[in-house]
Amino acid sequence: MSRLKIFRWRAIGPLLALFVIAAVLWWLFADTIARHESQQIGTQLLGARVEIEHLHLDIANGKVLVRGLTIASPHEAFKNLLQADELVADLDVVPLTEKKLIINRIAANGLRFGTPRQTDGRVAAKSGEGIAGRVLAETREWASQFQIPVLQLATGKISIDSLDPRRLSTIPAADALGARADSSRRAWQAAFDTLRLGPTLDSASATLERLRHARATDLAALNEARQAIGRLKRARDRLTTLDRGVKIGISQLQAGLASLDSARQRDYSFARSLLKLPSLDAPEIGAALFAPAAIKPFERVLYYAQLARRYMPPGLLPRATTGPSRMRRAGEDVRFPKEHALPAFLVRSAELSFLPQRYAGRLTGLTSDPALYGRPTVFGATGPQLVAGAMLNHVRAIPVDTAGATVGGIALPPFEIPGVPLRLDPGAATAQLGFALNGDTIHARFAIRSTNVRWTRDSGFANSTIGDLIWRTVSGISNLDVEARLSGALHHPDLAVRSNLDQAIASRLRSVLGEQVAAAEQQVRDRVDALINDKVGLVRARVNEVQTQAQAQVAQQRARLDELQQQLERIRLP
Amino acid sequence: MFALIKLIQSLVGALHSEGTPGQLAAGIVLGSFLGLTPLFNLHNAVIFALLVLLNVSFAGGLLGWALFVPAGFLLDPLFDWIGRSLLLAPSLRGLWTSLYNTPIVPLTNFTNTVVLGSLVFALLFAVPLFFVLRWAVARYRVTIGERVRQSKFYRAVTASKVYNVYKLFRP
Repeated sequence: MSRLKIFRWRAIGPLLALFVIAAVLWWLFADTIARHESQQIGTQLLGARVEIEHLHLDIANGKVLVRGLTIASPHEAFKNLLQADELVADLDVVPLTEKKLIINRIAANGLRFGTPRQTDGRVAAKSGEGIAGRVLAETREWASQFQIPVLQLATGKISIDSLDPRRLSTIPAADALGARADSSRRAWQAAFDTLRLGPTLDSASATLERLRHARATDLAALNEARQAIGRLKRARDRLTTLDRGVKIGISQLQAGLASLDSARQRDYSFARSLLKLPSLDAPEIGAALFAPAAIKPFERVLYYAQLARRYMPPGLLPRATTGPSRMRRAGEDVRFPKEHALPAFLVRSAELSFLPQRYAGRLTGLTSDPALYGRPTVFGATGPQLVAGAMLNHVRAIPVDTAGATVGGIALPPFEIPGVPLRLDPGAATAQLGFALNGDTIHARFAIRSTNVRWTRDSGFANSTIGDLIWRTVSGISNLDVEARLSGALHHPDLAVRSNLDQAIASRLRSVLGEQVAAAEQQVRDRVDALINDKVGLVRARVNEVQTQAQAQVAQQRARLDELQQQLERIRLP
Repeated sequence: MFALIKLIQSLVGALHSEGTPGQLAAGIVLGSFLGLTPLFNLHNAVIFALLVLLNVSFAGGLLGWALFVPAGFLLDPLFDWIGRSLLLAPSLRGLWTSLYNTPIVPLTNFTNTVVLGSLVFALLFAVPLFFVLRWAVARYRVTIGERVRQSKFYRAVTASKVYNVYKLFRP
């Protein structure tokens, strides 16, 4: 029996040939593979399609050249977030063996923002998958929480929805008060009965009668008189206590009557809310006109801030991100940062050159492990009418993200004014954005200023009086000054929007619609009154009756007690 | 269809090869690694090299690969769970952190939950699979193996050109 061989030596040749073929294929296709992988990873990270026209790896010299980089906008279908003509990156080669990408310097040339594209480049918005998809969904939900008043000016109609009596608060309040009045009446009657004033008064009357015919030396009669006076005093004390209780009860019933008035006011407000009235308050008009447009920049900045927090978390705990997309399940890639080791990804410095070439920027410290790098990520850009800066400080446990930008002379896109068939073209405007997210507290401001706005009127306005009014009000205004402020806890911040148009539109509306609105409000008040007046009247009468009856009873008994006591005391006792 | 024919050829060829049941079982076990774990990973290059260099059934390897690919897809949720449990276990954090920061090791993608889970599963599954397969092949050869060898089906399969290619790598 021959000894079994463990190795198949003759296979070494084919295996080496295979490795040589693999090496040649790598040499031939490394650029293509790297380009494909970069596109895939970039798309997955940002939630928007990343396209690269050309990529060349020069591992020996630690250089990567990228030409024709396009990153689609995750929010807008046919718009790019940015395009770059060329990027040259200097890599540290050794960390690549640890699967760590350390870029010492990037030079990016020909950066352009917001350019149009032919195809829809959104990925996360459509699939909702991955970290980018989840963050996008979260920020959308966050943005949808803001209650933006709807400005119904297009027709100017004032209509009233049906008023359901079951939704009025006065009727149940009146029922409850009536029941309380009845129970108070019963309680006070029972209290009167337990005072047993009748026998006390009868006994005192009999004593008085005997005293009138008694001799002055009749000590027994005199003693009886003293006792009768004592009983009368105690009875009066009990009556006083009861009187105090009655007074408290009556004051509570009166408060109940007052609360019926409050409930009526609430019902008026509720009924008024059923009115489809054009908003007349200036702040509401500002929010209705510009809040939808103002929330968008906040939502987008928050998206990138939250994305940065997911990809650049503070601390050194293991962190999981979605694995590579493949036919098999992607799973999750878990990273294990270690103190004094290199981060998994780091761009030490990037020099950015925008088109037109007078704009330039710089980015430092972009890393996946800020705690390892130890410094915040800082971005700055300057140019004619441009100042922008951002800092992502995730070095400590509570991340702080701030950003600010002032861009002048930019042509903002025209937008529809919600609820009104008006289109506003801000023209060349100055936009300012300030954003600070400290832990879970947000403070943000967005402002647009323009001196040459143009208004376009939609044909739907043709037959609307209110529409005409708004058109006449705004068409003469060429200045636009809008400011939106956001502050408070991130999950539920306060949004305030104001503009120079608010007051103008509000005062015009008030002057024209004031009478119509007042008449409509009177109408709804009448409807509420018709539904609740009978009930409230009955309860009011019942409360008054209970009050009168109780007070009369107390007063009557007190008068008799006082009278008898005085008569007894008038007889001179030794 | 071609893949199915190839699979049958592999199966028949492997079962009737001159290799021992142990060689065939070892080949299938190595092939199971290729099928159970995500293919394009560094450890599979090592597995492939072993399959070629070790005197095991190469056809068995191809057969194991083909048989266990569907199993890999089906068991991915289990692999994900195993990998996640291991990677996020506090007691193993030190080990993973050291490996993660060691050159070359991260290139194996062991930090991916599916890769680690499937590799651990394949490693644990390898030993029982080897012994069961070795016993099953031996039983096959002493029971119905000779009758199959005499059948027209076997002659048709072994006459094909693909079989000639296979013979280059038979043990």
